[in-house]
Amino acid sequence: MTRSLLFQQVLNGLAIGSVYAIFALGYTLIFSILRIINFTHGAIFTLGAYATYALTGASFGFNGLLANASLPVRLPFVLALIGGSLFAAVCGVIVERLAFRPLRARGSDPLLTLVSSLGVAVALVNVIQYLFGAEAYSYPADPFGHLPSAVNFGTAAQPILVRTVQVIIFGVSMVVLAVLTVLMNATRTGKALRAVAEDTVTASLLGIDTDRLILLTFVISGFLGGVSGTLVGLSVGIAGPYFGIAFGLKGLAVIVLGGLGDIPGAVVGGLVIGLVEAFVPSQYIAYREAVPFALLFVVLLLRPQGLLGRTIVQKV
Amino acid sequence: MSRRLMSSVLIAALVALIGGSPVGYAADPIPIGVSVAQTGPVALAGQEQVLGAQIAEEYFNKKGGVNGRPFKLVFQDAGSDEATAINAYQNQINVAKVVAIMGPSLSQQMFAAGPFAVRAKIPVMGPSTTAKGIPQIGEYVSRVSAPVAIVAPNAIKAALDINKSIKRVVVLFAQNDAFSKSETETFQQAVKDLNLELVTVQTFQTTDTDFTAQVTNTLTAKPDLVIISGLQVDGANLVKQLRELSYKGLIVGGNGLNTTNIIPICKMLCDGILVAQAYSPELKSKINDDFKAMYRDRQKKDPPQFSAQAFSGVQVFVEALSALDKKSPLAKMDLAALRMELNKQIMAGAYDTPLGEISFKASPGGEIVQKQSYVAQIKMDQGGTSGKWVYVR
Repeated sequence: MTRSLLFQQVLNGLAIGSVYAIFALGYTLIFSILRIINFTHGAIFTLGAYATYALTGASFGFNGLLANASLPVRLPFVLALIGGSLFAAVCGVIVERLAFRPLRARGSDPLLTLVSSLGVAVALVNVIQYLFGAEAYSYPADPFGHLPSAVNFGTAAQPILVRTVQVIIFGVSMVVLAVLTVLMNATRTGKALRAVAEDTVTASLLGIDTDRLILLTFVISGFLGGVSGTLVGLSVGIAGPYFGIAFGLKGLAVIVLGGLGDIPGAVVGGLVIGLVEAFVPSQYIAYREAVPFALLFVVLLLRPQGLLGRTIVQKV
Repeated sequence: MSRRLMSSVLIAALVALIGGSPVGYAADPIPIGVSVAQTGPVALAGQEQVLGAQIAEEYFNKKGGVNGRPFKLVFQDAGSDEATAINAYQNQINVAKVVAIMGPSLSQQMFAAGPFAVRAKIPVMGPSTTAKGIPQIGEYVSRVSAPVAIVAPNAIKAALDINKSIKRVVVLFAQNDAFSKSETETFQQAVKDLNLELVTVQTFQTTDTDFTAQVTNTLTAKPDLVIISGLQVDGANLVKQLRELSYKGLIVGGNGLNTTNIIPICKMLCDGILVAQAYSPELKSKINDDFKAMYRDRQKKDPPQFSAQAFSGVQVFVEALSALDKKSPLAKMDLAALRMELNKQIMAGAYDTPLGEISFKASPGGEIVQKQSYVAQIKMDQGGTSGKWVYVR
């Protein structure tokens, strides 16, 4: 393999991986604070994408209850992105109130929360299909102004191209990682969040408003879900209401690979899976989907806490 | 009235009701089933089929229906997957009790649902099922969609007309879809027959959205022509990503990309895609002019292939029913016999449709025999939000 082809494959891997990373960040945040796997993240992801689409003033197709519906606003893409993500954050909070809080109040098994979140995810996605139909949608062209369609990391003679939207996704995931790391490690809120993560009861005994912090976690996670849904929708179009659910399953592999609850781990896990997928040989390319799960299996055999996770020592 | 008299009157009334009711299809209107993809990603094509069928319903009922009796289309969504198609078929056969079914949209779905039709002895007509092996499913499975083996190579010839120096070709196909696998065999064979160099074959899944790896492998091969066999959403995404990563050569799309409904996905980048067509609005015939006029009235543009095929499918059913009725009145037949006789009549007839003059060859199901085929290219408008087919061959 020539050096430029190798570099191209590495960049492809980072591009593919950053999509997984940006999805997994919101996913792992919930786990890191609440120790629950939130399957509704895939549905929130989808809701964010649809909300941004609606806010750009576009109309929905002919299927579905709200056929040909459109909002009376027509926001520029960046504002629609923020609006759509805020909507996703609100949905995240509603989901928390309806699906998780009652179970938490009763001290239920975490497995119940997982199953409950799966049920809510499927229900939400079907509501979207019922209201808006199952067609594919895409955002208006040139949403960030007249950027070139691809960025050239090589030379004019030997171009090494990566699609601009993928570079944006990578950039955004790095920024989000930085912001979340600063939040968790260098602010009082972050410290409080880590206290809640360690032991909810003790934290509340020490005067920390755990309910408010859990709410904050869902708000941030929902917002991140909306941002990632919109950016991925920008990259590959919104393929239909189920386009987020497929990410949910792969996202699970990403966060377990990176270390459950570890925020930089989510990014590392995503990028590693992306890189491995990019290097799958040509003849097996259609079976690419199996790669992350095979990799996950191998890593769990060798290092059950994931790549960046810490071994959990059970103290008696 | 005495009890005995009362019960005798009641029994007589019941007998009159049951015995007197017509056995068989004197019931108006005659139900014809349509089960295409109204939901799911394939709805991009299914939508055009629904339109074509509805125009046919209006047109042929206005002309008298089946020898003076009206018919009605019973729509039952076959979705974009096999299970939904099978369900739709079961419903049409057993609940709606239709005389025949047009649909489903995908060859993949026909392979799954067709055997049910063969067992139930009801004629079904694929409006867009072009893979190899469809009429071979059984004698009750026919199609109005010309098989890929005949239609597809024309698109490559059209590409050569545009760029005579095409040498290197890359073929991509969706390996989890029966139609794409069948179509790509034809494309690959045609590439060899035309003495072009098939540099590499790349695969993907219809559910994929990210084609970075396939595009990189394609561009490394430095092709002059790229041929894609897939469905609407994946195909359009692949075209978009190819163009965004600076592929400048020609693209031939298979029948899966044969709808302007892919435009919202690839927008301006859809410009120039060549797709072989089994239908041309330019064909001079009375029925095509009528069909075109009705379609233009509703949609303000020329009719696409999927709509023309759906129209023709309904037309075949209506004309076969009329011919059968003249031989042996439908009102006197029961449903099972009607379905069997209708199937025989469909195979025996010749039809002047918007697709041209067609007939069927028993294989054992009806394989369409169609003379004409064409090639068209997508031409995008300035804004990049709409485009149309321009016929090149």
